Amino acid sequence: MLFLLLLLPPLVAALLAFVVQPYRSGVGRINALLSLIALAAALALVGPTLAGSDTPTFGPGDLLRADSLSALLLVCVTGVATLTLVLSPGVGRPATYSPGQLRRYQIFINLFIAAMLLAVVANNVGVMWIAIEATTIFSAFIIPLTLTKASVEASWKYILISSVGIALAFAGTVLGYFDFVSLVGESANALNWPVLLAVAHKLNPDVMRLAFAFILVGYGTKAGIAPLHTWKPDAYGEAPAPLSALMSSALFAVAMYAILRWKAVVDGTVGTSYTDGLLLALGLISLGVAAFSLVLSKNYKRLLAYSSLEHTGLICLGLGLGPLGTFAALLHLINHTLAKSLVFFIAGDTEEAYGSSQIEQVHGLLTARPWTGGLWAVGLLALIGLPPFGLFVSEFLIMQAGFALHQPVLMGVTLALLAIAFVSIIRHLNRMLYGEPRLAQPNRAVAAEQWIKFAPLWVNVALLVLLGLTLPGPVQTLLTRSVEIVTK
Amino acid sequence: MNETAFAQLSTLLSGLILFFGIALLWRRSLHAYIDAFQWQSAVLAALLVIVGYFEQDVELYLVAVIFFVLKVIVIPRYLNRLETRVGGEREMRPYVNAATSLVVSGALVLLAYVITRPLVMASTLPTRGGLPLAIGLVFVGLFVVITRKKALTQVVGFLVIENGIALMAVLGTFGIPFIVELGVSLDLLMGFLVMQVFIYHIHGTFESIDVEQLNQLKH
Repeated sequence: MLFLLLLLPPLVAALLAFVVQPYRSGVGRINALLSLIALAAALALVGPTLAGSDTPTFGPGDLLRADSLSALLLVCVTGVATLTLVLSPGVGRPATYSPGQLRRYQIFINLFIAAMLLAVVANNVGVMWIAIEATTIFSAFIIPLTLTKASVEASWKYILISSVGIALAFAGTVLGYFDFVSLVGESANALNWPVLLAVAHKLNPDVMRLAFAFILVGYGTKAGIAPLHTWKPDAYGEAPAPLSALMSSALFAVAMYAILRWKAVVDGTVGTSYTDGLLLALGLISLGVAAFSLVLSKNYKRLLAYSSLEHTGLICLGLGLGPLGTFAALLHLINHTLAKSLVFFIAGDTEEAYGSSQIEQVHGLLTARPWTGGLWAVGLLALIGLPPFGLFVSEFLIMQAGFALHQPVLMGVTLALLAIAFVSIIRHLNRMLYGEPRLAQPNRAVAAEQWIKFAPLWVNVALLVLLGLTLPGPVQTLLTRSVEIVTK
Repeated sequence: MNETAFAQLSTLLSGLILFFGIALLWRRSLHAYIDAFQWQSAVLAALLVIVGYFEQDVELYLVAVIFFVLKVIVIPRYLNRLETRVGGEREMRPYVNAATSLVVSGALVLLAYVITRPLVMASTLPTRGGLPLAIGLVFVGLFVVITRKKALTQVVGFLVIENGIALMAVLGTFGIPFIVELGVSLDLLMGFLVMQVFIYHIHGTFESIDVEQLNQLKH
């Protein structure tokens, strides 16, 4: 029942947007309310984990299943989805898009959300793959919402690179199935996670190593792990800001979820050193590419994409550092979701106000748009890992995990790269916050309007500060259970 | 039919399928790319029928029919329509010339043989001999995508990668569970349609489908 309440609202929302022609802003408002239902369902699905009772399942042959890892991801995805739909263009404020564009946006963004939710609760590896492939297709429709040379280029690169990547992930999935079938024989639920985990220790190690290589390359392309990240700056730079927010926080989390599930299976076959080694290497490369690209950034939306790459690197590092590292990485995932979505919404508003996404065109945010500037500062400072925001805690835990596993050199290099990223972002932030604004001077009315517009984002800030000061009991239980599932 | 004949036939057909994939590397006209893909898909559908016959698996017949309709009829029709609208360009001088491409594809197939040794040894199916060819096709498809300059030929390369994976599924596991197969086919069709739409967009905004023009977005 809860699963229906989770998956149906975005589907109904998409249908509503499809049926109502031409687009009316009431559609946007109703869709925002529907997303609240999905959020409530996701929170309710966390309940069984905290109570320690049976994992809820749904459908014939346990088609859908929500254990603690899934529940964690569900809350992240529905949280950002609600934020996106509430702050979407065309919902209660004058939009810069035409009704046709807004209708297309509402249809596909809701289908995109539904696909992500399906990927996270699917019990079957194949169904998860289908859902993730569907997310590529649906998001590709919205990136070029306004058809310009740049947006067409960005979306072509996105869809080509992502589709090739997903095809390789499918190759890895088939190899995993091949191994299972060679061992156990054909079976209808061979591709279910619990079944795979149960027989993992009997599977052929060489085949699973090869399968994981394909899976990591494939889903890693979707997550944006270097060197397969090249579509990210283009896509995030050209897509409308709410979509960038959704992609950089929720979709990224879903891709990492897929890698994590497979890691659990492959670790059961070959032990953890193989997957850990791969993840550590890729994490370090991602962090390195991100740190140096941040120095050269000229466009603030692309800067946020490189910041995503930096955090991708950190999360990969965490996942490669054993149970403590995995705990830290999952916490970092939550914090990153909160911070990244916050900053992308602000970036969208700034782009509208200044008419450009180049850093050098944006000056004097604190004088022209104090609330926007303030949130920029909060968001970027959170992203570079300053206390009292949650990212500081999770980064600290990752470091701790690294030192506990006697990897001082690795942690030293990580810290150096983080420092480079830190300095670069502060430099860019300074240039944007201070200086002479190229807008008219603000009046009280403008400032008041902004306060209301960004009210939902203060929830993000509050949660970031909360997670930076303490680790609430429910969150800790959820994370601990998730780590147990993955590192058994 | 006895097992050795079946094994040899499946390996032969896999080799033919790989051949059509490699043929993409020296053809120049867009129409030739679509042709090669069509032939490759037809042979793959035939292989699905043969495996279905040997395994007495009715599901595989159904999968073969879906496969045939999708990849030999529907997708090539869309591709041809696309080619008449935006084509008229030849894949002149891809990033790597024909001779080097063929050498590279030979190396890729060799690499595939090395990588898939554990697979072939782990399998007990009579069709396992063709597994390296399937992975080789995936690599060749990747190579095609990376080295082409026209958006349409990149899409054909992607479709070839998908064929390689389908071949791998057939040879290694006699097909994947039907519901997954259905979903995958649907995804594939939708993905292809989206790419098709984008090629129209590219043609509309850039007046050509030369991906070298897609270089505006830098740092």
